[in-house]
Amino acid sequence: MNASGAVAAIANVTFRALLGRRRTLLMLLVAGLPVLLGLIVRADQERPRALVGALEGLIITSVLPLVSLIFGTAALGSELDDGTAVHILTKPIPRWTIVVPKLLVAAGLTAVMLVPSTILSGVLIGGTGSRQIGITFAFAIAALVGSFVYAAIFVALSAATSRGLVIGLGYSLIWEGILAGALPGTQLFSVREYLRGIVAAIGPKDTLVSVVGAQGFLLAAVAFVVVTTFACIRLARFEIRAAD
Amino acid sequence: MTDVVDRPDPPPSPEPAGSSGPSVPEIATAAPPASAPIVLDRASRWYGNVVAVNDISFSLGAGITGLLGPNGAGKTTILHLLAGLLRPSSGRVLIGGRTAWRNPSIYRDLGLVPEREAVHAFLTGRQFVELAARLQGLPDPAAAAARAIATVELDQAADRPVGTYSKGMRQRAKIAASLVHEPPILLLDEPFNGMDPRQRLHMMDLLRSMAASGRTILFSSHILEEVERLADGILVIYAGRLAAAGDFREIRRLMTDRPHTFVVRSSDDRRLAAAFLGEPAVFGADLRDDRLTIQVTEFSGFTRIVARVARDTGVSLFEVAPTDDSLESVFEYLVTRR
Repeated sequence: MNASGAVAAIANVTFRALLGRRRTLLMLLVAGLPVLLGLIVRADQERPRALVGALEGLIITSVLPLVSLIFGTAALGSELDDGTAVHILTKPIPRWTIVVPKLLVAAGLTAVMLVPSTILSGVLIGGTGSRQIGITFAFAIAALVGSFVYAAIFVALSAATSRGLVIGLGYSLIWEGILAGALPGTQLFSVREYLRGIVAAIGPKDTLVSVVGAQGFLLAAVAFVVVTTFACIRLARFEIRAAD
Repeated sequence: MTDVVDRPDPPPSPEPAGSSGPSVPEIATAAPPASAPIVLDRASRWYGNVVAVNDISFSLGAGITGLLGPNGAGKTTILHLLAGLLRPSSGRVLIGGRTAWRNPSIYRDLGLVPEREAVHAFLTGRQFVELAARLQGLPDPAAAAARAIATVELDQAADRPVGTYSKGMRQRAKIAASLVHEPPILLLDEPFNGMDPRQRLHMMDLLRSMAASGRTILFSSHILEEVERLADGILVIYAGRLAAAGDFREIRRLMTDRPHTFVVRSSDDRRLAAAFLGEPAVFGADLRDDRLTIQVTEFSGFTRIVARVARDTGVSLFEVAPTDDSLESVFEYLVTRR
């Protein structure tokens, strides 16, 4: 069939499935946490450092991976686990036409929640000084890129294992949260470091120090392509998880 | 044609069973022809140390075949192998001559109705069937969906969310989605679960008419009566092995004519036991704790003589009951009969 038709049909169903009332409310709440914190702290234009620390700690390290994890694993993993995906898998369509729309919808929903949250919380915490706006803008771009890379990772994990949510949580907390960046050389394999590099590259001078710098864009793009390809290969080899 | 698998002699070639019309499927279990619509060729599937399907070979032609076996026998695993959703650990699985595993193109010719009910609850029945039509690349998905919905008589509820459906309605929605592209091969896993008797009869009529138009239909069931009413060909699965394959009536006879044990209560058990032992259909009698157990060589032979023997000996019969008529024991017998 015409692949774009399949992509559109699967994107539509995935979008409606992901926007279940409870999940959406929960994710809005999580994405709104930095804004809430911003309302409490309010603008302090004398302390751009605090803004960088807040956006990195809240958005890049915590809320972004968490929201991506929920949407990324729900987009494919929960359907593979509950058997809903069988109705899509048993169709004469290439597997990438299943993976790509699911991934794009998960990434899009994450970005739609995270980018405004980053901007709002950035303005609330840092104010509207030109340097602070530059920092906020850089983090918003990083959140946008991060939404896609993280969604790809979590969709791929779902295709590879039925424990995608738990492994994804472990990966976010342990690898991205603690290990990566702590040891030399690990930065090349850390999404958080790519996003820090993007902030360092497009933010005002000396916003933060990054090993990967502007290469963060390239590394994020490579990670996205590699992980998406892996997800397509794994889905092509997918074996149903329930038998009699 | 009936063949109990693994016996030393090759099975006779399939022949049409004249009384049941043109829809009797051809089932071959030795050297299945690769060109048949459905082929399992020495296929096995194991999970770690557990063997779910053990070296099974068969091929199926047009018509309705029932995959009969108790729960956990391996029926769903076989259907998943055929649907390309499981990789065979060894052997080959072919759909229309093409490898089923990792080959989405087979789904043009195949419809699968899974046993699990999972369907996106927010979609209406119509949207669910239309999604299937779109993913099949049909030129007019809406019209194809409307036809399939009418075929399963789901028109009235088609615009309600699937989440509000009863089990039987959900089942019909799944069937409509699986036949929206009018596939020549249809696999159904326990399709009658949750259907009321009227829906069940309608679905049986539908499957019969699809088979009459030359389709190959394989459905699984653990209920002998379902298979008996619908299928002409039968595959009996027990503990991951193909216990018997062929024409239903022949296998029914095998099941009936196997050795049986009856418990008999009468006005004089001792006298009756002595009389039974003189009959060729009886090969053992055991009188213990006021309970007479009779071992017979075949079910129908014994049922023909029991009343006569009782009358001739002047003994009143109070109860004659077979002791091992569970489907489980029937399957076990078929496997051990090799």
